[in-house]
Amino acid sequence: MSNKKKDYNLNSPSKFTDEMKTIPPARRLTAQEKTQMSPLQAMVASYGLPRLLITGFLLVLFILTPFVDVDLVTQITNIINRFSWNAVLVLAMVPMIHSGCGLNFGLPLAIICGLLGSTLSIQFGFTGPLSFVAAVVIATPFAILLGGGYGLLLNRIKGGEMMIATYVGFSVMSFFCMMWLLLPYSAPTMVYGLSASGLRPTISLDGFYNQVLAGFLEIDFGEIAGKLGISLGALEKLVIPTGSLLVFVLLAFLMWAFLHTKTGTAMTAVGSNPTFARAAGINVDRTRMLSVIMSTWLGAIGILIYQQGFGFIQLYNAPNNLTMPTVAAILIGGASVNKASISNVIIGTILFQGIVTMTPTVMNSAIHMDMSEVIRIIVSQGMILYALTRKVKGSK
Amino acid sequence: MKKKNIPAGKKALELVRGNAVPIMFVIICAIFIPMAGFSPSYLLNEIITRMGRNLFLVLCLLFPIMAGMGLNFAMTLGAMGAEIAVILVADWQIWGIPGVVLSMILSIPFSALLGFICGTLQNMAKGREMITSYIINFFINGWYQLIVLYIMGSIIPIIHASIMLPRGYGIRNTVSLLNMRQCLDDLLAVRIGGVKIPVFTFILVGLMCLFIIWFRRTKLGQDMRAVGQDMDVARDAGINVDRTRIISVVMSTVCAGFGMVIYLQNIGNLPTYTGHSQIGMFCIAALLVGGASVEKASIGNAFLGVILFHLMFIVAPGAGAFITGDSMVGEYFRVFLSYGVIALALIMYEAKKRMAKSKAGRELAEAQKEKEAAE
Amino acid sequence: MKSKRRIAFSLLLVLILVGIAACMMVIGRGHTVYFDNKTLEDYNGQEYKAAHKVVVTVKGEEVAKLGKRERGMAVWIGQNFKMTLEVTQEKGDEPEVRTISLKLPYSVDGIVVNLPALLAGLPEDAWFSEFVPVETESVDEEVPGTGDEFGLDGGLGLEGDLGTGDIPVG
Repeated sequence: MSNKKKDYNLNSPSKFTDEMKTIPPARRLTAQEKTQMSPLQAMVASYGLPRLLITGFLLVLFILTPFVDVDLVTQITNIINRFSWNAVLVLAMVPMIHSGCGLNFGLPLAIICGLLGSTLSIQFGFTGPLSFVAAVVIATPFAILLGGGYGLLLNRIKGGEMMIATYVGFSVMSFFCMMWLLLPYSAPTMVYGLSASGLRPTISLDGFYNQVLAGFLEIDFGEIAGKLGISLGALEKLVIPTGSLLVFVLLAFLMWAFLHTKTGTAMTAVGSNPTFARAAGINVDRTRMLSVIMSTWLGAIGILIYQQGFGFIQLYNAPNNLTMPTVAAILIGGASVNKASISNVIIGTILFQGIVTMTPTVMNSAIHMDMSEVIRIIVSQGMILYALTRKVKGSK
Repeated sequence: MKKKNIPAGKKALELVRGNAVPIMFVIICAIFIPMAGFSPSYLLNEIITRMGRNLFLVLCLLFPIMAGMGLNFAMTLGAMGAEIAVILVADWQIWGIPGVVLSMILSIPFSALLGFICGTLQNMAKGREMITSYIINFFINGWYQLIVLYIMGSIIPIIHASIMLPRGYGIRNTVSLLNMRQCLDDLLAVRIGGVKIPVFTFILVGLMCLFIIWFRRTKLGQDMRAVGQDMDVARDAGINVDRTRIISVVMSTVCAGFGMVIYLQNIGNLPTYTGHSQIGMFCIAALLVGGASVEKASIGNAFLGVILFHLMFIVAPGAGAFITGDSMVGEYFRVFLSYGVIALALIMYEAKKRMAKSKAGRELAEAQKEKEAAE
Repeated sequence: MKSKRRIAFSLLLVLILVGIAACMMVIGRGHTVYFDNKTLEDYNGQEYKAAHKVVVTVKGEEVAKLGKRERGMAVWIGQNFKMTLEVTQEKGDEPEVRTISLKLPYSVDGIVVNLPALLAGLPEDAWFSEFVPVETESVDEEVPGTGDEFGLDGGLGLEGDLGTGDIPVG
């Protein structure tokens, strides 16, 4: 059995994947002994070299902070904040990876659904926190519809999902570039002032759902210190957007739970071994379709959460800018082309956003040379490249 | 390889289906041209300029297709190699045709190295060559930026402040190639009724075509096609598959480097950080518009594709403005078409592959059944 | 033996390419030549007066028509510079046509030639000077790659190299 090499991340439902793949059904029970491996050992084994390097790099950045006059607490606040914006988008990668559809380079499609939700919500006159709810509600049918079509397409081209997803994402995005100009939007906050038609590239969410989740139960240590009349020192700069994090935790938990239901395990089975899954009586195409719809919906919700944190809706070519970082994040978290877990999402988002936040400030103060963009490109694309060129175990 | 024994009707149907994309573009162009309202001589002039500018680049895509590696999204690597060469040559103040020749020669080591890296990585990701080459693009783009933005001027000596950023290292957003501008195009140029024909550039393109035709017949070219047909069979026949594939990518990248030099001398300035980013996409879209597919492309596809694609590209904004009163719509529309045609070609390719696979599986099963029955 | 031949062949190819490249570096070196029709005062105690009008022709193309105290310029590829001057010393004089070849130094980009001194046949140090471009403070150019702040307020924290907005025409 070659499964000695496999990683045994205990949190990972994908453990199941490997066993389905390599162990004949009769022997599956005995594999339970493997789960008795210590979590620490399993963690190290599953960590992988590139991830180790990236973690090391981030640690170096952290260690450097005091020496180059960068405020560590502010940086941590930033990382938490950015984590809260991006985590759901990264989570959206999970279902498609599980069902064997590969990395979802078609994320722009999902984002478009979210954008439709947010723009229509404002167009229909919703304001305040209600506009967020409305956006979610409106985005959902679009996500199901577009995601369904997308799933149908991906079912016809099994094996070439990633490349096609990329270009389908681009096509849909450029199609909607036209639509943003042509659709009869009229809300004055969104359209160009002069012609009163055509959406602006950036729309402010002030008065709508700016910070609606982040502000919910927000823990601002500075404020607390002020109220209690005590000094918390550097900690005062720490702000935690509890609401956004809670929503992520909720969604992540639901995802985790789903992956452990019958449908969820079926999905994993489809991803790891479609032939076996078909033999076991699973409807492969329907399961894949479900995963694509889930991914699309999560992506749509993800962009809404991103917007509420960022404070702006970004249209036109902006959806594209999120694809690579999101894919890179889950890979940095330790996922591979056909395996991903919730812990991958969390670790990956923290690591990636950590690098994104820390490099510019630390580098700038340390050597007065802002190489962060270059580093970010090399790290994220290198990570994707690593994942693609790794010998994939199991079926394609 | 031509398939024989296909009924004539089916063949004709396949021909129409195979040419659906060019036909669609002909129709689009036919509708758009009157709307855009350009004069025929302007259009002709533009098309000929753009043919001279882009054909060489498009032709270099043929090698990896020959080797069955699909559309080489990483041809951008050659463009980056050429850009580094052009920056250096511009800095050394080598002008005119010698400058162009020097840039081409100087681009070879860069492009070949990048092509080698790319080919090696693609060999590690067999079956996913395209997405890998697509990502390699971005990855190498990161290194390119590192070199051009930070290393040039600080480690690699750059003499002239005019191409450097004011901070003292790194290259400006645009490097002027005024002294190299159109020097190939102007050589032997012929003017017919206000239309300038860059004869020398077309001669270069013609030489490239001849080279491709000749190359297909060489041992290496035959090997490449064998690898493209079936890697396992080729391996059994004693062909070094990995090496052949790497060679095809290196050739493509080096030729892309030459093509980029031709492209840049026509444009007359080098957009340092954006010049290459869209090259791959446009060349691939052009080739596909010409009726090529992921596994089959000819020189004719390249010519037809460049004409149709760029015709669409020129007239789309005008037509968009005519229909909607906003030229931006036309601009987005042409981008949409570029992406759409690539997506369509990829979908058709994968669907066909899958159909062939299931057909082969069925045939195998039937054959087995027959065998069992015979026993 | 086949591989040996192949190595020899590729070495030869590389050598040829390097040879061509070296050749190109010599013959392709571009220079900008500036002509000053300016009175040269006090060269070894003598004064060389500017001509009334000088027409400079390079490669059959009239590049400059210089009155007194005017400067013209031409670009030249290679080191053997040739030009034809049509000199009118005083107003009303018959123009005098002279063909002049100069050897341009390889390492100098911009060369300023003082025409009166050159026409008088003075040694090189009299008419030759190097053109030093004035540091024009260019408009603050956005430094690529650094314009995008990744702080919480500005950036996306993402790379957006595919942006279709900035498609080069072509």
